Amino acid sequence: MIEAQAEETRIDWEAALVVRACSGDSRAFERLYREHVGRVYGLCLRMTRDPHLAEDCTQETFINAWRALSKFETRSALSTWLHRIAVNVTLARRRKASPVEPGVEDEEDAGGAIEWTLETPVEVREIEAAIGALPEGARDALILHALYGYSHGEAAGMLGIAEGTCKAQLHRARKLLRERLEVEVG
Amino acid sequence: MSDESHAPEERKVSSLAQLARSIEPGRDLWPQIEARINAEHAPRAAAAREHAGPRRPMLWPSFAAAAMVASVAVGVWIGRSVLPTPGSPAGTSSPASAARGSAGLLGGPTAFEAAYVSDPRYLRERTALIRDLEARLASLPPAAREKVVKSLTAIRRAKEDLESALGKDPSNALLQELLVNTYQDEMRVLTDLHQASEADTGI
Repeated sequence: MIEAQAEETRIDWEAALVVRACSGDSRAFERLYREHVGRVYGLCLRMTRDPHLAEDCTQETFINAWRALSKFETRSALSTWLHRIAVNVTLARRRKASPVEPGVEDEEDAGGAIEWTLETPVEVREIEAAIGALPEGARDALILHALYGYSHGEAAGMLGIAEGTCKAQLHRARKLLRERLEVEVG
Repeated sequence: MSDESHAPEERKVSSLAQLARSIEPGRDLWPQIEARINAEHAPRAAAAREHAGPRRPMLWPSFAAAAMVASVAVGVWIGRSVLPTPGSPAGTSSPASAARGSAGLLGGPTAFEAAYVSDPRYLRERTALIRDLEARLASLPPAAREKVVKSLTAIRRAKEDLESALGKDPSNALLQELLVNTYQDEMRVLTDLHQASEADTGI
């Protein structure tokens, strides 16, 4: 009975805030910003490795989100939508800075599991440094797949690459991490 | 680079998924974002008022959303359709029946209303606006009347739902804010209605 009542009064606050923001309510958008800025900035920072550039990318992400908010479908997660924008913004910045990206051969089957475990636990600082030292393509795929939990297909879609390429980049990331950390990354 | 990287004693992780996904930026980025979106929003809002085009359909179930959309739509609609056409011919539906249908549109005063919306000036203005609500509704063309009634009904339901939710979680700041916003939406509709009927009677 109580559960049913709770279900009746359950409110999709985020959707309500999105609606208000769509009508031009910047306070509602600020609430959405406060809710999501940490994850967006975290993603930008890991992709750029530059706090100032990550701040710029985060700002641009939310400004682009504000402009496109009317196109957002609340059936999908706002966080995923924001991450997609953040990845686009970051990749665009990167392309401006250095237009040529090294290619990676597609790989049919490499690293299927989302959970990337380490046989020997390592310090956070150490593993962050190892991730930061990865080549951009491998790092991007690793961040989206292993840290943020996106599937191969989702990560590939965000990065604008084929799923096989994404898997290959993950395989490469795992190999490089293993070498650098001298632990098994499974 | 994560929050943990500055900790005096490093935490060890055995899975990449244990790394912090959320990292707070070193400074508050909102003021700059707000300045940009406000600069973009002002001319866009002015253009929207000029053209008064239809908003995209809202598919979401939130009651706050329903109330807000209804009030905005009615505001725009009244602005477009009622104000420029004073003395427009009455339609087929009876003003008296519309007035009867509007009874209880706003709902009665509640404990939460007193608690959250207690500004005496607001209360005076609201009382003045709803005093002759039925007469004002009756003066509207049927289509406009129907829009206003629908809007006020949506707002009343939103208020009831929010007050019910606040009954279970009285200290919820977001609920409180949404309730106050809903009252603001109601005032906007009432004010638009007042201005529309004033214009229609040539005052």
